[in-house]
Amino acid sequence: MDTATGKRDCIPSCDSCDEPAVYFNPGLQRHLCERHLCLDVEHRVIESVTSHGMVHDGDLVAVGLSGGKDSSVLLSILCCIVPERWDAEIVAITVDEGIAGYREETIQSAVSLTQQLGIQHHIVTFQSLFGKTLDSLLGSYPLRACTACGILRKKAFSDAAREIAATSIATGHNLDDAAQSVLMNYLRGDFERLLRDSSSMEDRGFIRRIKPLHEVNEKEITLYSMINGITGHLPECPYATTAFRAEVRTLQAAIEYQHPGASHRIIQGQESLSEQAKKTVRPCGAVRYCATCGDPCSGPVCQACGLLAGLKK
Amino acid sequence: MRLQLPDGTTCDMSGEPTTVTTLLTGCNINPLEVIVTRNGRLIPEDATISGSDDIRVYLVAHGG
Ligand SMILES: [Zn+2]
Ligand SMILES: [Zn+2]
Repeated sequence: MDTATGKRDCIPSCDSCDEPAVYFNPGLQRHLCERHLCLDVEHRVIESVTSHGMVHDGDLVAVGLSGGKDSSVLLSILCCIVPERWDAEIVAITVDEGIAGYREETIQSAVSLTQQLGIQHHIVTFQSLFGKTLDSLLGSYPLRACTACGILRKKAFSDAAREIAATSIATGHNLDDAAQSVLMNYLRGDFERLLRDSSSMEDRGFIRRIKPLHEVNEKEITLYSMINGITGHLPECPYATTAFRAEVRTLQAAIEYQHPGASHRIIQGQESLSEQAKKTVRPCGAVRYCATCGDPCSGPVCQACGLLAGLKK
Repeated sequence: MRLQLPDGTTCDMSGEPTTVTTLLTGCNINPLEVIVTRNGRLIPEDATISGSDDIRVYLVAHGG
Protein backbone atom coordinates (compact mmCIF):
# COMPACT_ATOMS: atom_id res chain seq x y z
CA MET A 1 0.00 0.00 0.00
CA ASP A 2 1.16 3.48 -0.78
CA THR A 3 1.85 4.83 2.68
CA ALA A 4 1.14 8.43 1.72
CA THR A 5 -2.35 7.46 0.52
CA GLY A 6 -2.82 5.17 3.48
CA LYS A 7 -2.05 8.04 5.85
CA ARG A 8 -4.42 10.36 4.06
CA ASP A 9 -7.28 7.90 4.57
CA CYS A 10 -6.96 8.18 8.35
CA ILE A 11 -7.49 11.94 8.24
CA PRO A 12 -11.01 13.18 7.56
CA SER A 13 -11.28 15.54 4.58
CA CYS A 14 -12.29 19.19 4.71
CA ASP A 15 -16.03 19.73 4.29
CA SER A 16 -15.34 22.47 1.75
CA CYS A 17 -12.65 20.81 -0.40
CA ASP A 18 -10.62 17.60 -0.76
CA GLU A 19 -7.68 18.67 1.41
CA PRO A 20 -7.06 16.87 4.73
CA ALA A 21 -8.77 18.53 7.70
CA VAL A 22 -6.68 20.16 10.44
CA TYR A 23 -9.64 21.08 12.64
CA PHE A 24 -12.89 19.52 13.75
CA ASN A 25 -15.61 21.78 15.13
CA PRO A 26 -17.65 19.50 17.41
CA GLY A 27 -20.54 21.99 17.73
CA LEU A 28 -21.09 22.26 13.99
CA GLN A 29 -19.73 18.74 13.26
CA ARG A 30 -17.55 20.32 10.62
CA HIS A 31 -14.05 19.50 9.31
CA LEU A 32 -11.86 22.24 7.89
CA CYS A 33 -8.49 22.23 6.13
CA GLU A 34 -5.86 24.93 6.79
CA ARG A 35 -7.14 27.24 4.08
CA HIS A 36 -10.83 26.87 4.90
CA LEU A 37 -10.26 27.22 8.64
CA CYS A 38 -8.49 30.55 8.03
CA LEU A 39 -11.19 31.73 5.65
CA ASP A 40 -13.86 30.72 8.16
CA VAL A 41 -12.15 32.63 11.00
CA GLU A 42 -11.74 35.73 8.81
CA HIS A 43 -15.34 35.47 7.68
CA ARG A 44 -16.60 35.38 11.27
CA VAL A 45 -14.49 38.42 12.18
CA ILE A 46 -15.86 40.34 9.18
CA GLU A 47 -19.37 39.29 10.21
CA SER A 48 -18.83 40.49 13.82
CA VAL A 49 -17.28 43.78 12.78
CA THR A 50 -20.03 44.48 10.23
CA SER A 51 -23.07 43.35 12.21
CA HIS A 52 -22.00 45.17 15.39
CA GLY A 53 -20.88 48.30 13.51
CA MET A 54 -17.43 48.05 15.09
CA VAL A 55 -15.61 50.05 12.39
CA HIS A 56 -16.74 53.17 10.52
CA ASP A 57 -15.21 55.31 7.80
CA GLY A 58 -12.85 57.86 9.28
CA ASP A 59 -11.99 55.69 12.32
CA LEU A 60 -8.55 55.44 13.83
CA VAL A 61 -8.62 51.97 15.39
CA ALA A 62 -6.03 51.38 18.11
CA VAL A 63 -5.36 47.67 18.46
CA GLY A 64 -4.22 46.62 21.91
CA LEU A 65 -1.26 44.47 20.92
CA SER A 66 0.25 42.49 23.77
CA GLY A 67 2.32 40.38 21.40
CA GLY A 68 0.49 37.22 22.44
CA LYS A 69 -1.46 35.11 19.97
CA ASP A 70 -4.93 36.68 20.37
CA SER A 71 -3.93 40.29 19.78
CA SER A 72 -1.40 39.33 17.09
CA VAL A 73 -4.04 37.38 15.15
CA LEU A 74 -6.51 40.24 15.68
CA LEU A 75 -4.08 42.80 14.27
CA SER A 76 -3.21 40.60 11.28
CA ILE A 77 -6.87 40.00 10.41
CA LEU A 78 -7.89 43.65 10.85
CA CYS A 79 -4.99 44.79 8.65
CA CYS A 80 -6.24 42.40 5.98
CA ILE A 81 -10.00 43.06 6.13
CA VAL A 82 -10.41 46.70 7.20
CA PRO A 83 -8.60 48.65 4.42
CA GLU A 84 -10.62 46.79 1.76
CA ARG A 85 -13.93 47.72 3.35
CA TRP A 86 -13.59 50.97 5.29
CA ASP A 87 -11.70 54.21 5.00
CA ALA A 88 -10.19 53.62 8.43
CA GLU A 89 -6.66 53.52 9.80
CA ILE A 90 -5.17 50.90 12.13
CA VAL A 91 -2.40 51.48 14.66
CA ALA A 92 -1.08 49.24 17.42
CA ILE A 93 -0.54 50.11 21.08
CA THR A 94 1.55 47.87 23.31
CA VAL A 95 1.62 48.30 27.06
CA ASP A 96 4.82 47.10 28.71
CA GLU A 97 3.72 46.27 32.24
CA GLY A 98 7.23 45.38 33.32
CA ILE A 99 7.05 41.64 33.97
CA ALA A 100 10.58 40.27 34.04
CA GLY A 101 11.36 37.16 32.04
CA TYR A 102 8.07 37.33 30.11
CA ARG A 103 7.50 40.68 28.47
CA GLU A 104 10.85 41.02 26.65
CA GLU A 105 10.05 38.22 24.22
CA THR A 106 6.38 39.06 23.64
CA ILE A 107 7.18 42.75 23.02
CA GLN A 108 9.84 41.78 20.51
CA SER A 109 7.24 39.63 18.77
CA ALA A 110 4.82 42.63 18.71
CA VAL A 111 7.53 44.87 17.23
CA SER A 112 8.36 42.48 14.41
CA LEU A 113 4.69 41.93 13.58
CA THR A 114 3.96 45.66 13.24
CA GLN A 115 7.09 46.09 11.11
CA GLN A 116 5.99 43.24 8.90
CA LEU A 117 2.48 44.70 8.55
CA GLY A 118 3.88 48.19 8.11
CA ILE A 119 1.73 49.89 10.72
CA GLN A 120 2.42 52.51 13.37
CA HIS A 121 3.29 51.07 16.78
CA HIS A 122 3.15 52.93 20.09
CA ILE A 123 4.72 51.33 23.15
CA VAL A 124 3.87 52.72 26.59
CA THR A 125 5.30 51.47 29.87
CA PHE A 126 3.90 51.18 33.41
CA GLN A 127 7.24 52.61 34.50
CA SER A 128 6.69 55.88 32.63
CA LEU A 129 2.94 56.10 33.31
CA PHE A 130 2.78 54.99 36.94
CA GLY A 131 6.40 55.42 38.04
CA LYS A 132 6.97 51.68 38.64
CA THR A 133 6.90 48.34 36.82
CA LEU A 134 4.11 45.84 37.63
CA ASP A 135 6.67 43.64 39.39
CA SER A 136 7.70 46.41 41.77
CA LEU A 137 4.18 47.82 42.21
CA LEU A 138 2.87 44.45 43.34
CA GLY A 139 5.57 43.81 45.89
CA SER A 140 4.03 41.36 48.30
CA TYR A 141 0.59 41.12 46.64
CA PRO A 142 1.11 38.50 43.89
CA LEU A 143 -2.40 37.12 44.42
CA ARG A 144 -3.90 40.37 43.20
CA ALA A 145 -1.62 40.51 40.18
CA CYS A 146 -4.18 39.92 37.43
CA THR A 147 -6.81 42.23 38.89
CA ALA A 148 -4.30 45.02 39.45
CA CYS A 149 -2.63 44.52 36.09
CA GLY A 150 -5.99 44.45 34.28
CA ILE A 151 -7.13 47.76 35.79
CA LEU A 152 -3.81 49.52 35.13
CA ARG A 153 -3.44 48.11 31.63
CA LYS A 154 -6.92 49.38 30.75
CA LYS A 155 -5.96 52.86 31.92
CA ALA A 156 -2.64 52.73 30.06
CA PHE A 157 -4.47 51.82 26.84
CA SER A 158 -7.09 54.53 27.29
CA ASP A 159 -4.45 57.18 27.95
CA ALA A 160 -2.34 56.08 24.98
CA ALA A 161 -5.38 55.85 22.69
CA ARG A 162 -6.56 59.33 23.72
CA GLU A 163 -3.07 60.68 23.13
CA ILE A 164 -3.14 59.61 19.48
CA ALA A 165 -6.84 60.58 19.07
CA ALA A 166 -7.97 57.00 18.39
CA THR A 167 -11.71 56.55 17.90
CA SER A 168 -11.81 53.00 19.24
CA ILE A 169 -9.70 50.40 21.02
CA ALA A 170 -9.78 46.87 19.60
CA THR A 171 -8.87 44.04 21.96
CA GLY A 172 -8.18 40.35 21.29
CA HIS A 173 -10.83 38.97 23.66
CA ASN A 174 -12.12 35.68 22.29
CA LEU A 175 -15.19 33.51 22.79
CA ASP A 176 -13.61 31.51 25.63
CA ASP A 177 -12.50 34.67 27.46
CA ALA A 178 -16.05 36.02 27.31
CA ALA A 179 -17.64 32.80 28.60
CA GLN A 180 -15.05 32.63 31.42
CA SER A 181 -15.76 36.23 32.43
CA VAL A 182 -19.48 35.51 32.74
CA LEU A 183 -18.80 32.40 34.86
CA MET A 184 -16.32 34.29 37.04
CA ASN A 185 -18.86 37.03 37.73
CA TYR A 186 -21.45 34.41 38.69
CA LEU A 187 -19.03 32.57 40.95
CA ARG A 188 -18.02 35.80 42.67
CA GLY A 189 -21.63 36.90 42.95
CA ASP A 190 -20.63 40.12 41.21
CA PHE A 191 -23.95 40.97 39.60
CA GLU A 192 -23.10 44.60 39.00
CA ARG A 193 -20.32 43.54 36.67
CA LEU A 194 -22.37 40.69 35.21
CA LEU A 195 -25.13 43.08 34.18
CA ARG A 196 -22.90 45.94 33.10
CA ASP A 197 -23.63 47.11 29.61
CA SER A 198 -20.42 48.26 28.00
CA SER A 199 -22.21 50.60 25.57
CA SER A 200 -23.29 52.78 28.51
CA MET A 201 -19.60 53.36 29.28
CA GLU A 202 -19.19 55.03 25.92
CA ASP A 203 -21.85 57.62 26.68
CA ARG A 204 -19.86 58.44 29.77
CA GLY A 205 -16.75 59.56 27.96
CA PHE A 206 -14.79 56.34 27.55
CA ILE A 207 -13.27 55.46 24.18
CA ARG A 208 -15.33 52.80 22.42
CA ARG A 209 -13.98 49.28 22.91
CA ILE A 210 -14.48 46.62 20.25
CA LYS A 211 -13.85 42.85 20.38
CA PRO A 212 -13.74 41.56 16.80
CA LEU A 213 -12.63 38.04 17.89
CA HIS A 214 -15.58 37.50 20.22
CA GLU A 215 -17.03 34.74 18.01
CA VAL A 216 -13.74 32.84 17.60
CA ASN A 217 -12.48 30.33 20.18
CA GLU A 218 -8.97 30.02 21.53
CA LYS A 219 -8.12 26.83 19.64
CA GLU A 220 -9.15 28.36 16.31
CA ILE A 221 -7.04 31.44 17.05
CA THR A 222 -4.04 29.27 17.94
CA LEU A 223 -4.41 27.27 14.72
CA TYR A 224 -4.81 30.47 12.68
CA SER A 225 -1.63 31.82 14.25
CA MET A 226 0.33 28.60 13.63
CA ILE A 227 -0.86 28.20 10.04
CA ASN A 228 -0.01 31.79 9.14
CA GLY A 229 3.20 31.87 11.17
CA ILE A 230 2.02 34.93 13.13
CA THR A 231 3.53 34.12 16.50
CA GLY A 232 6.01 31.45 17.43
CA HIS A 233 6.05 29.72 20.78
CA LEU A 234 5.82 32.42 23.44
CA PRO A 235 6.15 32.22 27.21
CA GLU A 236 3.03 32.50 29.38
CA CYS A 237 2.62 35.26 31.94
CA PRO A 238 4.21 34.10 35.23
CA TYR A 239 1.26 35.56 37.17
CA ALA A 240 -1.34 33.61 35.15
CA THR A 241 -1.22 30.49 37.31
CA THR A 242 -2.23 32.47 40.39
CA ALA A 243 -5.38 33.61 38.68
CA PHE A 244 -8.91 32.51 39.46
CA ARG A 245 -9.40 32.61 35.69
CA ALA A 246 -7.08 29.60 35.29
CA GLU A 247 -9.42 27.49 37.43
CA VAL A 248 -12.50 28.75 35.64
CA ARG A 249 -10.85 28.09 32.26
CA THR A 250 -10.43 24.38 33.02
CA LEU A 251 -14.06 24.23 34.12
CA GLN A 252 -15.31 26.09 31.03
CA ALA A 253 -13.26 23.91 28.67
CA ALA A 254 -14.68 20.77 30.31
CA ILE A 255 -18.25 22.06 29.98
CA GLU A 256 -17.67 23.07 26.34
CA TYR A 257 -16.20 19.66 25.54
CA GLN A 258 -19.11 17.75 27.08
CA HIS A 259 -21.73 20.16 25.73
CA PRO A 260 -20.53 21.77 22.48
CA GLY A 261 -21.89 25.30 22.09
CA ALA A 262 -22.25 25.84 25.87
CA SER A 263 -19.84 28.81 25.85
CA HIS A 264 -21.96 30.53 23.25
CA ARG A 265 -25.10 29.94 25.28
CA ILE A 266 -23.42 31.24 28.47
CA ILE A 267 -22.67 34.52 26.67
CA GLN A 268 -26.11 34.76 25.08
CA GLY A 269 -27.68 34.22 28.49
CA GLN A 270 -25.63 37.04 29.96
CA GLU A 271 -26.57 39.35 27.08
CA SER A 272 -30.30 38.81 27.53
CA LEU A 273 -29.95 39.17 31.29
CA SER A 274 -28.20 42.49 30.82
CA GLU A 275 -30.91 43.57 28.31
CA GLN A 276 -33.63 42.70 30.83
CA ALA A 277 -31.78 44.45 33.63
CA LYS A 278 -31.62 47.68 31.66
CA LYS A 279 -35.41 47.87 31.90
CA THR A 280 -35.62 47.39 35.65
CA VAL A 281 -32.35 48.49 37.21
CA ARG A 282 -32.00 52.21 37.91
CA PRO A 283 -29.70 53.95 35.47
CA CYS A 284 -26.23 54.74 36.76
CA GLY A 285 -25.80 58.21 38.21
CA ALA A 286 -24.36 61.29 36.56
CA VAL A 287 -20.85 61.09 35.12
CA ARG A 288 -18.18 61.93 37.68
CA TYR A 289 -14.54 62.61 37.00
CA CYS A 290 -11.57 61.20 38.87
CA ALA A 291 -10.12 63.72 41.32
CA THR A 292 -6.61 62.49 40.53
CA CYS A 293 -6.48 61.96 36.76
CA GLY A 294 -9.73 63.44 35.43
CA ASP A 295 -10.96 60.24 33.75
CA PRO A 296 -14.70 59.60 33.77
CA CYS A 297 -15.58 57.23 36.63
CA SER A 298 -18.31 56.26 39.08
CA GLY A 299 -16.70 57.19 42.41
CA PRO A 300 -14.56 60.09 43.66
CA VAL A 301 -11.44 58.57 42.03
CA CYS A 302 -11.16 56.05 39.16
CA GLN A 303 -10.32 52.37 39.79
CA ALA A 304 -6.75 52.79 38.55
CA CYS A 305 -5.96 55.80 40.76
CA GLY A 306 -7.62 54.13 43.75
CA LEU A 307 -5.53 51.02 43.20
CA LEU A 308 -2.28 52.94 42.70
CA ALA A 309 -2.87 54.87 45.92
CA GLY A 310 -3.37 51.57 47.75
CA LEU A 311 -0.33 49.86 46.21
CA LYS A 312 2.00 52.76 46.83
CA LYS A 313 1.20 52.86 50.56
CA MET B 1 3.89 5.27 17.98
CA ARG B 2 5.79 7.92 19.78
CA LEU B 3 3.80 10.41 21.83
CA GLN B 4 5.10 13.72 23.16
CA LEU B 5 2.93 15.49 25.74
CA PRO B 6 2.79 19.27 26.40
CA ASP B 7 5.08 18.97 29.43
CA GLY B 8 7.77 17.45 27.19
CA THR B 9 7.46 13.88 28.45
CA THR B 10 7.46 11.22 25.76
CA CYS B 11 6.27 7.66 25.67
CA ASP B 12 6.33 4.85 23.15
CA MET B 13 3.01 3.24 22.43
CA SER B 14 1.81 0.25 20.43
CA GLY B 15 1.08 0.94 16.76
CA GLU B 16 -2.54 -0.19 17.11
CA PRO B 17 -4.85 2.25 15.34
CA THR B 18 -6.61 4.68 17.68
CA THR B 19 -8.14 8.14 17.47
CA VAL B 20 -6.51 11.30 18.78
CA THR B 21 -9.51 11.80 21.09
CA THR B 22 -9.07 8.37 22.68
CA LEU B 23 -5.38 9.00 23.15
CA LEU B 24 -5.94 12.44 24.74
CA THR B 25 -8.81 11.51 27.02
CA GLY B 26 -6.73 8.53 28.16
CA CYS B 27 -4.08 11.03 29.27
CA ASN B 28 -6.73 13.20 30.96
CA ILE B 29 -6.31 15.94 28.37
CA ASN B 30 -9.28 17.94 27.08
CA PRO B 31 -8.92 17.98 23.25
CA LEU B 32 -10.17 21.59 23.20
CA GLU B 33 -7.13 22.70 25.14
CA VAL B 34 -4.49 21.24 22.84
CA ILE B 35 -3.26 21.16 19.25
CA VAL B 36 -2.00 17.85 17.87
CA THR B 37 0.47 17.18 15.06
CA ARG B 38 1.34 13.92 13.36
CA ASN B 39 4.76 13.77 11.76
CA GLY B 40 4.81 17.57 11.95
CA ARG B 41 1.39 18.19 10.38
CA LEU B 42 -1.73 19.48 12.14
CA ILE B 43 -4.47 16.87 12.51
CA PRO B 44 -8.05 17.04 13.83
CA GLU B 45 -8.97 15.20 17.03
CA ASP B 46 -11.02 12.54 15.23
CA ALA B 47 -8.09 11.49 13.02
CA THR B 48 -6.91 7.90 13.32
CA ILE B 49 -3.26 7.39 14.18
CA SER B 50 -1.24 4.20 14.04
CA GLY B 51 2.04 2.51 13.17
CA SER B 52 5.20 4.54 13.68
CA ASP B 53 3.47 7.94 13.82
CA ASP B 54 5.22 10.71 15.71
CA ILE B 55 2.44 12.44 17.67
CA ARG B 56 3.02 15.74 19.45
CA VAL B 57 0.55 17.47 21.71
CA TYR B 58 0.87 21.24 22.30
CA LEU B 59 -1.08 23.30 24.83
CA VAL B 60 -3.23 26.07 23.39
CA ALA B 61 -1.37 29.10 24.75
CA HIS B 62 -3.50 31.46 26.79
CA GLY B 63 -3.69 35.17 26.80
CA GLY B 64 -2.77 38.14 24.79
ZN1 LIG C 1 -10.77 22.98 2.58
ZN1 LIG D 1 -7.95 58.40 37.95
